[in-house]
Amino acid sequence: MYDESVTILDNRKINEKYYKLTFRCDRLARGVKPGQFMHFQITPALDPFLRRPFSYYRVHSNRVEILYEILGKGTGILAGLKTGASLKVMGPLGCEFTPKIKGKKRVLVAGGVGVPPLVFLAEHEKIDYLLIGTKSRKEVLPKKELAKVKAEILYSTNDGSYGEKGFVTALLEEVIAKEGAENIFIQTCGPTVMMNAVMDIAAREGIEGEASMEESMACGVGACLGCMVRTPKGWVPSCIEGPVFRFSQIVRKGCIA
Amino acid sequence: MKKVDLTTKIKNVIFKNPVTVASGTFGTTGEYSRYVNYNRLGAIITKTITVNPRLGNPMPRICETSSGMLNAIGLQNKGLADFIENKIPYYARIKSPLIVNIAGESEGDFAKLTAVLNKHKKVVRMIELNLSCPNVEKGGAGFMKKRRLIKQAVRAARSETDMPLMAKLSPELGDVLEIAGEVLDSGASGLSLINTLKGMSIDIEKRCSRIANITGGLSGPAIKPVALRYVYEVKKHYDVPVIASGGIMNARDAVEFLIAGATLLAVGTANFVNPRSTLDILEGLTDYCRQQGIRQIGQLRGSFHHVRPES
Repeated sequence: MYDESVTILDNRKINEKYYKLTFRCDRLARGVKPGQFMHFQITPALDPFLRRPFSYYRVHSNRVEILYEILGKGTGILAGLKTGASLKVMGPLGCEFTPKIKGKKRVLVAGGVGVPPLVFLAEHEKIDYLLIGTKSRKEVLPKKELAKVKAEILYSTNDGSYGEKGFVTALLEEVIAKEGAENIFIQTCGPTVMMNAVMDIAAREGIEGEASMEESMACGVGACLGCMVRTPKGWVPSCIEGPVFRFSQIVRKGCIA
Repeated sequence: MKKVDLTTKIKNVIFKNPVTVASGTFGTTGEYSRYVNYNRLGAIITKTITVNPRLGNPMPRICETSSGMLNAIGLQNKGLADFIENKIPYYARIKSPLIVNIAGESEGDFAKLTAVLNKHKKVVRMIELNLSCPNVEKGGAGFMKKRRLIKQAVRAARSETDMPLMAKLSPELGDVLEIAGEVLDSGASGLSLINTLKGMSIDIEKRCSRIANITGGLSGPAIKPVALRYVYEVKKHYDVPVIASGGIMNARDAVEFLIAGATLLAVGTANFVNPRSTLDILEGLTDYCRQQGIRQIGQLRGSFHHVRPES
């Protein structure tokens, strides 16, 4: 874990939804595992005040990439930063997705901000399915971004303009029907609504899996207890005990004992 | 380069410099050790410890605001027994004096916490009494508005130790100057000023609070002028040690609080923005003293001019 000053090599819009930012940094690239994240200080001007967490998207030797979308003030400023601008970045933070799953078909379910870490995982591990849900065709990642993914990639769009019409959970139901619930392990990351729907299906079908949780975060080191996830042993900080949690370790709303 | 003596004292406790951390912003054991050498800090103040473990508040617990943040963590901690068993051995290896922050729902809680910590005086050098948490019902700022309870809490702690006791106050309790007088009469050795200020933020899409607890404690640069004013006013009335906190982000902020009379400078929310804030502030403070020809930090402390000098 380091806090490094990095210089932006490249920062560009790659489609209607995503921007890709690239920098080089030995310390932030060394030993990184899919699922881990970095904590960006977007501006030293303290507005926005807190840092912003971003998942690693891709690491090649000391070259680090993140993929992000403009969701608010912080990412808006980030998108405006030019090559040569510098940023303070903490990382690598948090835990990884379980890398090897024996005897199960691995199904990754991604949406929105959850796409980058799961593409990272799919490039590094033997994956069977990568399911990606977006609003429309405009938001689908360019093909070359997924060139190294060997898994079967299935798309859903809300408006049916690309892949199957509807939510990504419909794709998951199809994969379950084809492969059998007992043969599947799910790894998911995306909007809370999507992950809740995925975990509902997993609970119904008795499927184990992991979710990378997204909570507002301040410190990134387990000090402030802001980014908590409820587990059977109580609230734990997702920045150090997560962001990846087993489904069985997540106590969701409505099922708190 | 001339050496600057930053040594600071509160009663019998010696600090090699005045830079410390505000309770609740630096974890309980080594969360920042990858970024900060704890031995370089003047002191370490723990997150609040209560007699029994506390689960804390529901999520969301934090949200960003203009120049600051709101939090309603709810004093989540593993309780006194865990602190003694698992945290004290960690701090025993750190040279900087440890100040343990405690909160309770009754005078009995304060007495028990203090009595137990008093048995670990080699490690625990001071106790900070959290009398002003805005986010819990019992034992929080609302509860402590009953002045009788504040005085009882301080007296109960005092009866169990001769260690310095710092009472942490906020304007949420009422008139800070009046309460300061009362807690000092009840046995507090000094004051910690200020705790967070209760505030709120509304999500206009969902039309609900951005914090599950509805309200939270505001911290960060947004509250610095308020904190500075209280440190200044209290120091004008009472010649007692003060641990200042409230939006100290950099060395310039730290110097302002020293000029107002602060004894120790507790860096809080800044840690979340820059994990190395404390050491950056320490280095900046040393540079400032050198530039100003200050040999001992005491020359700066309380050096406020009531009349603007002619420039």
